[in-house]
Amino acid sequence: MRLRSFRLRIALLSAGLAGSALIGFGVISWKLIYDAKVSRLDASLESQLKRAARPRFDRWQSAESDLSRELGVSPDTPIALLVIDANGNRLYQSENWTLNGNLTFPPAPEPLSGSSLPKPFPAQRFDRPPPELPAATRYTTQGAWRVGAVRFPHVQFAIAVNLDSIDQEMTVIRSVFLFSIPAVLLLVAGGAWSLSGNALRPVRQLTTTMQSVTIQGLAQRVPSDAIDLEFAELIAVFNQMLERLERSFKQASRFSGDAAHELKTPLTILQGELEQALQQAETGSATQQRLGHLLDEVRRLSSIVRKLLLLSLADAGHMSLSKAEVNVSVILTEMVDDLELLAPHLHVQTEIAAQLRVWGDRDLLIQVLQNLVSNAIKYNLPNGWIRIQAHQQARTALITISNASQPIPERDHSLIFDRFYRSDPAHTRRVEGAGLGLSLAREIARAHGGDLTLAPASPAQTAFTLSLPVVEA
Amino acid sequence: MNVLLVEDEARIADFVRAGLKQQGFVVDYCDNGNDGSDRALENEYDAIVLDIMVPGKDGLAILKSLRRQGRNVPVILLTARNELDDRLEGLNLGADDYIAKPFFVEELVARIHAVVRRSTGDRQNLIAIGPLKLDRITREVTCNRQVVELTSREFNLLEYLMRSPGRVFTRTQILEHVWGYDFNPQTNVVDVCIQRIRKKIDSIGGGASDLESVRGVGYRFRQPTHS
Repeated sequence: MRLRSFRLRIALLSAGLAGSALIGFGVISWKLIYDAKVSRLDASLESQLKRAARPRFDRWQSAESDLSRELGVSPDTPIALLVIDANGNRLYQSENWTLNGNLTFPPAPEPLSGSSLPKPFPAQRFDRPPPELPAATRYTTQGAWRVGAVRFPHVQFAIAVNLDSIDQEMTVIRSVFLFSIPAVLLLVAGGAWSLSGNALRPVRQLTTTMQSVTIQGLAQRVPSDAIDLEFAELIAVFNQMLERLERSFKQASRFSGDAAHELKTPLTILQGELEQALQQAETGSATQQRLGHLLDEVRRLSSIVRKLLLLSLADAGHMSLSKAEVNVSVILTEMVDDLELLAPHLHVQTEIAAQLRVWGDRDLLIQVLQNLVSNAIKYNLPNGWIRIQAHQQARTALITISNASQPIPERDHSLIFDRFYRSDPAHTRRVEGAGLGLSLAREIARAHGGDLTLAPASPAQTAFTLSLPVVEA
Repeated sequence: MNVLLVEDEARIADFVRAGLKQQGFVVDYCDNGNDGSDRALENEYDAIVLDIMVPGKDGLAILKSLRRQGRNVPVILLTARNELDDRLEGLNLGADDYIAKPFFVEELVARIHAVVRRSTGDRQNLIAIGPLKLDRITREVTCNRQVVELTSREFNLLEYLMRSPGRVFTRTQILEHVWGYDFNPQTNVVDVCIQRIRKKIDSIGGGASDLESVRGVGYRFRQPTHS
């Protein structure tokens, strides 16, 4: 799974990196500290073993009790001592000596070169200690012991120090690590979070500016002077993109304006001259009827041109509305009155709340409502019904116009607002309309800050809901 | 009535002039904005019909300079480009009305009459043909001095036909004008409405025969034989 928040990702990543570095560092330093402690113990052991070469046949007991001080370990650390003479007799063995089985003494050192003669026992007492005193760790039921052993010609000598004390110290160090590493990680994550937030501030500024660009039109530019150097290029590119967009939008809207002009001029001539001819034709003649039909077709053509122009204006965000307070209830009531004449075969139900006022372009809103009502008539079933409901919900006026109909296939729901779309090809012959009406109606609704939606498919009805912001009382 | 028409498209100008002259207007015509501006400032017209898109000074500029000089002559704008913007800008600049191309001359004539009446403060809003009298302000129709009760749509339909007696209107034209529907919703609403008006007029004392149907086309109000 990928985290969507960039800031969270940065914080977690930094914490992860710092965490693995800290843990690695902790493990290594823990090991080093342990080794250092053990080798210090070894050094003490070594010096004790050297000194043990002195004879103290009767004082092993007291020597044992001094050992803890001389080794520099805490007094309650168990220490054990074993002394064996040259014949293998145990001269002394501590009570807690448990290492019998696995103790090996190093071989006796070679005598000094040049004095190859065997010396009497006393002479050898101060003999050089063995060059190496390998210490080893042994494990018994009482825990781990560090054991140093030495062999002199006349005596074998071993000291074992329990490692408990070192382990205790290491436990303290480990708990310090266990506490400090998460604390540092939290600090790092928090720091990364706030740093990335800082770094993202210009991006947020940019977002705000871009929002105002889409609202106020493409002529806006993002100011590049007050922003960090690193973002200057991004802004430059964005501004260039805006410029290109603005140019092409201007071109497109100029094109639609020009196209409308070019189309409307011949349409005006056609309509004017047809009209003239219609008036001059002999009343009731075939010519006059034909001219009448032609005139109707010209009207239809000009209605399509007008809708196309409005749609292209809406696309360019230039649909200018001359807004005033519009009483939707009155308009709807009038339309319901008309329905009686327009479609006497349909059963009309109404639930229109009084005094629904919206702020909008009266002509365009009437066009939207007429489009919905005429669709409800056109796509109705024989002896079907129309229901017109209007009420206010929060700050929105909801106008729902539903009618009995053939079901609109689910796959067509998203297409129904497309331009020149027809739900059923068979309908094209039976009903008129260019398939621009719904698309335009929705654009008009959206230009008013509302929307036009088709209710989810239901078996025997179609329902469109127009929502418009109401005028604040 | 003197009207100045500024329109660069000769064929549009032709039928507009023909239509206006037929209604008894005296039409002065020019095909570019500069001449149009000069003539508008030099002469006194009862109304000016300005195409917004003309070569030279455009319609809005002419309107602006007229208003700047304190000339209150009624102006109607003809617009083809961007209806919504032109409507706003034109009305803000002091146009009295606007009409979008393509338009019917009959509609232009009605608008000219309306703005002239408004500017002269003429309260005469009566159309009287034969026994029928129609008052646009009180929205009252009388037949032989007896009130005919009409619905709003019926009144609008009758007014539409009566303001251009003799002129033939197709059903689609009537539907567009009276109901505002810019399509044919497969309805005989126009015929039903005409029949209702006829019935109401006949019930009072006749004259409904002036409301003629034109076979295969639509309807017209019969032109009075003598005025």
